[in-house]
Amino acid sequence: MNDTEQTGPSGPYPPTEAMLAKPVPQDEQDRTAAELRAAWEPPKGWRYPTAVNNSEVGLWYALTAFGFMLLAGVLALVMRLQLMVPDNDLISADRFNQFFTMHGSAMMFLFAVPMFEAIAILILPAFLGGRDMPFPRLSAFGFWCFVIGGVFVMGSLLFDAAPTAGWFMYPPLATQDEGPGSDIWLLGLSFIEIASIAAAVELIVGALKCRPPGMRVNIMPLYAWYVLVVGGMILFAFPPLIAGDFLFELERSFDWPFFDPTRGGDPMLWQHLFWIFGHPEVYIVFLPSIAIAAMVIPTVARRPIVGYSWIVLSAVGTGFLSFGLWVHHMFTTGFPNISLGFFSAASEAVVIPTGIQLFAFAATLIAGRVKMSLPMLWIAGALAIFTAGGLTGVMLAIAPFNWQVHDTYFIVAHLHYTLFGGMVFPVIAGVYYFYPFIRKKMLSERLGRWAFWLIFTGFNVTFLPMHLTGLLGMPRRVFTYPEAAGWGWLNMISTLGAFVIAAGFAVFVWDLLRPKGDQKEVPRNPWDAGTLEWSHDVPAEYWGARSIPHVTSRYPLWDDPKLVERMDAGRYYLPGSPHGHRETLVTSVIDASPELAQRVTGPTWITLWAAGFTGGAFIFPTFHMYPSAIVSGAFAVVCILYWLWTSTARPPEHGMRDAGLGLSLPTYASGPKAVGWWAVWITMLGDATAFASVVFGFFFYWTAKPDFPPEGAMHAAPAPVGLAVLALALSWALTLGARHWNRAGRVGAARAALIAAPLLAAGGVAALIRSVQHLEPTAHVYPAIIWALMVWVVAHAAVGIIMQLYCLAGSLTGKLTPRFDADLWNITLVWHFLCLTVLVACAVIGLAPEVL
Amino acid sequence: MTGEHQPRADEERREFREEAESLWRITLAPVTWVAHFVASYGVAAVTCAKAPGLLGAARIGLMLATLLALAVIAWLGWRAWRQWDYRNTGDYTNALGQAEDRHQFLGHAAVLLALISAIGVVYGTLPVLLLDTCR
Repeated sequence: MNDTEQTGPSGPYPPTEAMLAKPVPQDEQDRTAAELRAAWEPPKGWRYPTAVNNSEVGLWYALTAFGFMLLAGVLALVMRLQLMVPDNDLISADRFNQFFTMHGSAMMFLFAVPMFEAIAILILPAFLGGRDMPFPRLSAFGFWCFVIGGVFVMGSLLFDAAPTAGWFMYPPLATQDEGPGSDIWLLGLSFIEIASIAAAVELIVGALKCRPPGMRVNIMPLYAWYVLVVGGMILFAFPPLIAGDFLFELERSFDWPFFDPTRGGDPMLWQHLFWIFGHPEVYIVFLPSIAIAAMVIPTVARRPIVGYSWIVLSAVGTGFLSFGLWVHHMFTTGFPNISLGFFSAASEAVVIPTGIQLFAFAATLIAGRVKMSLPMLWIAGALAIFTAGGLTGVMLAIAPFNWQVHDTYFIVAHLHYTLFGGMVFPVIAGVYYFYPFIRKKMLSERLGRWAFWLIFTGFNVTFLPMHLTGLLGMPRRVFTYPEAAGWGWLNMISTLGAFVIAAGFAVFVWDLLRPKGDQKEVPRNPWDAGTLEWSHDVPAEYWGARSIPHVTSRYPLWDDPKLVERMDAGRYYLPGSPHGHRETLVTSVIDASPELAQRVTGPTWITLWAAGFTGGAFIFPTFHMYPSAIVSGAFAVVCILYWLWTSTARPPEHGMRDAGLGLSLPTYASGPKAVGWWAVWITMLGDATAFASVVFGFFFYWTAKPDFPPEGAMHAAPAPVGLAVLALALSWALTLGARHWNRAGRVGAARAALIAAPLLAAGGVAALIRSVQHLEPTAHVYPAIIWALMVWVVAHAAVGIIMQLYCLAGSLTGKLTPRFDADLWNITLVWHFLCLTVLVACAVIGLAPEVL
Repeated sequence: MTGEHQPRADEERREFREEAESLWRITLAPVTWVAHFVASYGVAAVTCAKAPGLLGAARIGLMLATLLALAVIAWLGWRAWRQWDYRNTGDYTNALGQAEDRHQFLGHAAVLLALISAIGVVYGTLPVLLLDTCR
């Protein structure tokens, strides 16, 4: 078999002890180290922003998210000053509304979720002994989108134009809000939500396909399990919100009455879509933070974690159950009691898996020989605070109690206990724990203790009294209150406490940012931990792992004393970079046997351009500048196409590569062996969830509204709907055919199919648009939701057409050949989903009116 | 080394199928919980909105759905228990990097998830048992 024909690995695997024991000659070590260093060198000087290394992007991401957190914290301090005494007039009611809206929105969308992504991008590859994430440019693109969206949304505060309707933007308050505030929230944050989904795709593929050889699912670090679960949750939680944003913005911009009850709409649909996102969101920020505890605790206890399987159960179980809780945010909206019962029961049930992991941590600490350290202090604080928040959560899951304290400061206290305990404290523990890994220096023990006790004390002084303030009846979100209410002294205590928290953060920030030039570099494994990230290089190198090890246990650094030495010598896989490419190892999903030496992308400006234009496409509509938005969106598409065309799935110069230890690996894969295919699969799953949410909207109106569809309403024209289904389904069939014919070497037939398919798709789109022309979307929610489904299908079909043409161009120019056909596999996968979308949408548009 | 050797092509395909199957399998019990939960919520919402008089019948239907869900979970749990093979191996942690460990670990995780899913289904049935009107 010649080089280009072979598609599978060849050579011995797993490596034997004799192979590993064989020393690597010094000159070879030096040569391969120099190759790697050159390939992974991040850009210097003014080109530094083009870096895509996970160590750089992750750090920028984390610092930016932390910056937004500090800003949101300042908003909270101003609010606390306003509430310090009764009848205060420090800031106006409107500004107070802007501040609490932005405090919540920023903490959730600009801090908690991005911080998870940032930390995961920064440390996940190191846990997995990998070089980088599988799609470095995607991380960079996500980061720049986040910066642009975040600055835009936060910047609105400076122009007194920030959203004022609260972080969950309930209509009709938010839909009827004057000024651009609600649009800024919707479009700015939708943009960031898309960046979050990009990060989730990256992290899921990273945890599934980029583990080191031998790291089967039963021995991967618990952090990777949590990342997997949380990535999956993002895929099912964020899309309903994106679908909600889509409907909401159509109402704001074009007056389609989705949430307007006078024209058949229903504000409750927004509440459903928001909280189907909003409750899992709490676990999305909690699980990865508690995952940090799962990494710190075995180190502190100096023994393997107790109950690994139980913690996996806990993560997966919480991930599922957390989707059955959303209505507990809506207990006062008049559901049938039996419905409330389901959500109350699920809210109690989720406590079980959540609690199990905490018991597993406690058991590990009891069974181990604890060596107390600063990170552990923060973890202990986290567990104490989170447990208190969990207990009020159990109380709030009981509907009658919930009715009593709904929208009072009791809720404010509860949610801050869960989020500080479940997210802020563990993340700070993580900062102390991983700082030597990230910056190769230590943070100060003394300042760390000061920061801990200030924040811990301040936190309890601020939020413990709020339980009582709430029980005494103080509603949340009021900008002031009369003296006669008798809440003055409690608010005074809370305000004083808030400034103690702020003092603690000031100490922490100083410790983080102060120059540490005179400090000597840390030892490589300062905590004596057992996981792979502590094989990092001191002083820093950018190659991730010097060579990618073969792993056989959960704590390789404890169990295999020669591992680090052999990694350093380049004894393991991919020790060099003979062609100067950045590469990482791709392994199988469950058993992590090596499959592929994947080339990954390097520094570029194109991700910044793409992010900038994508930003324009989201930001211009805020000011109703639609032509500019369309132009900007078109440029974004061009940038992304250029990026994909020039650097992804190019036919490799060398079909096979010597990966070390006698193993020879292919450098190109298509279909399920390729990381790109997995990324498309996962993205489309998220997309399908968003579509399902819109369809849910249709049936929600049917159950909730007696006049849906209204008497004598006009329906979509059946003949064009049928024609659209036929044309788009044929287009799908031809795309699938093109993949088969191309693979079989019948390139001509494949090209013909790729010419006919987009034409058919365009015809289908035209027919679908035609079928709803006579309906007036502003008149009633029924025509409006039919139009929304049409717009959804048309937008997706347009993307599908671009993909077909991309593959046609690839085939004509030699980028796509019968052997190197990853692009065609990927777009076929998109078309599978697209075909399903068309069938469902057209069934709803065309058939449902008859059936209902 | 237990059975570690150079894989052949057909063997590789078979193993991939098996491993892919067992990763999905650990989610099947929670998915059963999801199906039961969605069915309960959907049936109750539609019945109360469109035909409150039929709630009695809907409750009986949901209780039957509960029995079905519990039976499915019990079957999944039993299969997972066999896969875990704890009685024969006595290995509770499956902390090693062998294929056998991975196989048994996925069984262990699936047993635990079946347990939590069964608890979730029982919790979700309590409102059906205890409440007999829509209000």
